[in-house]
Amino acid sequence: MRLLRAVVIVALLGVAVYVGYRFFARPPQHAAGGVAVYYCKTDGATLARWVVSVNPNATDRTSVAFYATAQTVAGPPADVAAIRFPVGTVVRSVLVDGSTATVDLGGAIATPQAGSFAESGEFKALVWTLTALPGVSAVRVKIDGARVSALPGGHFELDDPLTRQSW
Amino acid sequence: MLVSLAGMPAFGATAAAANNYWFSGTRLAFEHPQVRDGAFAVGTDDNGLARFLAKVGATVSYQPGQRFVIVEASDRRLITFTLGDTHFVVGTVTQAAAFAPYAEGSIAYLPFLDLARALYVDPVSDGETVVMQPQIAALDVRTENAVTVVTLRGASPLQFKRLSKADEDTISLAFLGTGSTLEPDRAVSDSPLRGVSITVGGTPKNPTTVVNFSVTPGGMHVLAPTDSPNSLTLAFAPAGVQLGGTAVPASGGAAVATVPLTVNDSHAASPLPTPPPGAYRGSFRTPAMPPATLPPYGDSTDSNAYPQTPLGPAPAATQTPTANALPSATITNFDTQSIDDGFNIRLSISGPVTYEWHRLSDDRWYVDFKPANLAIPAQEVPLSDPSIVSLRIKPFIGPNDHLATVRVAFTMPSPRGVSLVPTSDGMTIAIDSQDDSTMQIAGTGELVNGSIVAAVVPLPPVVAAPAPDAAEPAPWKFSGPSGVKNPKLIVIDPGHGGSDTGAEHNGLVEKDVNLDVARRLRGVLIARGWQVKMTRDSDIDVYQADDSAHDELQARDDIANSAGARLLVSVHTNAFTTSELSGTTTYYYTAASRPLAEAIHARLSQLPTADDGIRKENFYVIHHQNMPGVLVEMAFMSNPGDAKLLKSSAFLQSVAVGIADGIGDYTSGNQPVSTNSSNDSTDGN
Repeated sequence: MRLLRAVVIVALLGVAVYVGYRFFARPPQHAAGGVAVYYCKTDGATLARWVVSVNPNATDRTSVAFYATAQTVAGPPADVAAIRFPVGTVVRSVLVDGSTATVDLGGAIATPQAGSFAESGEFKALVWTLTALPGVSAVRVKIDGARVSALPGGHFELDDPLTRQSW
Repeated sequence: MLVSLAGMPAFGATAAAANNYWFSGTRLAFEHPQVRDGAFAVGTDDNGLARFLAKVGATVSYQPGQRFVIVEASDRRLITFTLGDTHFVVGTVTQAAAFAPYAEGSIAYLPFLDLARALYVDPVSDGETVVMQPQIAALDVRTENAVTVVTLRGASPLQFKRLSKADEDTISLAFLGTGSTLEPDRAVSDSPLRGVSITVGGTPKNPTTVVNFSVTPGGMHVLAPTDSPNSLTLAFAPAGVQLGGTAVPASGGAAVATVPLTVNDSHAASPLPTPPPGAYRGSFRTPAMPPATLPPYGDSTDSNAYPQTPLGPAPAATQTPTANALPSATITNFDTQSIDDGFNIRLSISGPVTYEWHRLSDDRWYVDFKPANLAIPAQEVPLSDPSIVSLRIKPFIGPNDHLATVRVAFTMPSPRGVSLVPTSDGMTIAIDSQDDSTMQIAGTGELVNGSIVAAVVPLPPVVAAPAPDAAEPAPWKFSGPSGVKNPKLIVIDPGHGGSDTGAEHNGLVEKDVNLDVARRLRGVLIARGWQVKMTRDSDIDVYQADDSAHDELQARDDIANSAGARLLVSVHTNAFTTSELSGTTTYYYTAASRPLAEAIHARLSQLPTADDGIRKENFYVIHHQNMPGVLVEMAFMSNPGDAKLLKSSAFLQSVAVGIADGIGDYTSGNQPVSTNSSNDSTDGN
């Protein structure tokens, strides 16, 4: 009887140790390979990507999406020729609901835009980045919390969520 | 080599004379002027002419090989020169030029001083030089239902300083840098405006014109919007009538008048005064604007056809506004008659009257009777006859001769023969069931006591509308998408405008460049027989100032959609955050638009810019139109090389001609075999 009790206790301890190990030892999402961030080259068509490490605190889906968005808006290193979001663009929030990520931008991008060329490249990079995340297939863009048809003084249509098929 | 314009005996030219010509404080320098019949001839490609026209807001269009040179003034008047003809037409008025314009190679030479005068710029001598002095050349006064509307028109943007206080009974506005040869005093009867006096001072190079408006005490006056910075409109109302508009500021111009004119008369429900020609969009708009079958007032669709006031609401018998004291005939009755061989429009006319008729290339036809009043309501006549599509009769004041005029205008299903037949009490306009075989497109005459007593002399064409040649089938025979109601109408959308400047780089402002090219394109297209409608023809927001992108862009598509245009072309200038990008791109979105983009870009690829190809992009303005549409990005103003081109009149004209050529290729089926298009791709994915 004493032997049986010892076996049960050892077994429970083993299960506890295993569960604890699996729980505490699980790496954060995407931490191993980071997250792919895209930018659009200055030919206006070609996309390229680079991989950034994910913020260790970004362990849930929305946080990863926010982090990837911020990296996209920040753009590649300065010495890379790329279409970039206007300096001063702010990522106000990112919300992933189902397969759609809603990105709320503000700051410089909420001011009148100059030239149609950059707009498409900016959003193309954003869409490719976010739709590379598991389960995300569309991106809705808001400006200062509001849905818009286009950027102020802009050209590119933002009425509907953007997908990779938008181009 | 730059050569100053020489000599001017009575402002003519001799090779020996070498006086300088000045305009707006700078010497006019022409690159290759010539002397013809003692007068200066200036080439259409001359940058000196381009600078002059730019300052007065005019554009010139000339397609080598064609007969016509068309200059479009800032107030939308078309000045049409015909090669080999000493007559030229300003609006609808024929004038004599110093010599017949002629062509040498790809350049047409025009009589410069005749052109300048038509643009309200008069040569004034100050002894040693000749100053091309911008004028306040027109002062239209019209009164209806107690409200008087005064419109001043100038050669260049009219900027004033108000010399009087706001509450004085005389409003004095000083226009610096502007002269005038208008009558110094003008009395106005039965009006809250007692009279207008004009004084001109200063020097030939720095003239000042002061316009004094004497008003009745207690009345109200406001600025009303106009469609051109070269015009200024004031409205005057007596005590008890409230005007909505912009209070006259201490200084300003047309741009400060942003509030539409409205009238609140507590004593009577009266229609607004007839809008002045070129009225600002919406400023007088009422629910009873003309239907789409005839072009609405205020856009260039009718710049060659119905260039005056619209058919306004006519709740009662309409009295033609009387802007002159000349004796005039009265059209006392008007009816129609369907017959086996056609259709008759019968007019009862009392008194002698002159008439002038025009056949337009799109099967529209109109006859103006002047001076004449209309004693019956202006009306759009309901019809059901195979010989005629639409018919209307309306009064207006001629914008150039200021004569009370009555216009009968109608549209036919094909270029039917039309005869003017004098009758015992007036005239019958007889429309045949067969098409016209004479090809005469204009004529004049005089009707006295039931007889035509003056010879009918064919006029030079009021607008260059050559018949399409064999290589370019008549574009309006095209059977387009269901949204196309007018297959010969092209809508041009000058991108941005008003509160939305677009990009700004290297001293360029996108909205201005876009409008410049759009106007040039309009001139070229009209010269080739197209109708053109602009989403904007001045520096304005199409929807309203500081509106949302949706409202602004949708408003542009709405214009094209409601007009049932065949094509939409949106004109833009590109920009980027750095200066290395350059080139020309043509964008499309809908599948139906790709052939148009290919055709236009095949032409634009010949520009001296980098060829960035065509691209499919979901740009709002080329997504929500009901017809093929493209967005052309002419060049990158952020690139120094492209910016230099964008400052060149020759380049801007090349863009306009290129787009027009592409439209011609598209509509004639002369599509390019291949084109450089973008190739969306990704790497590293």
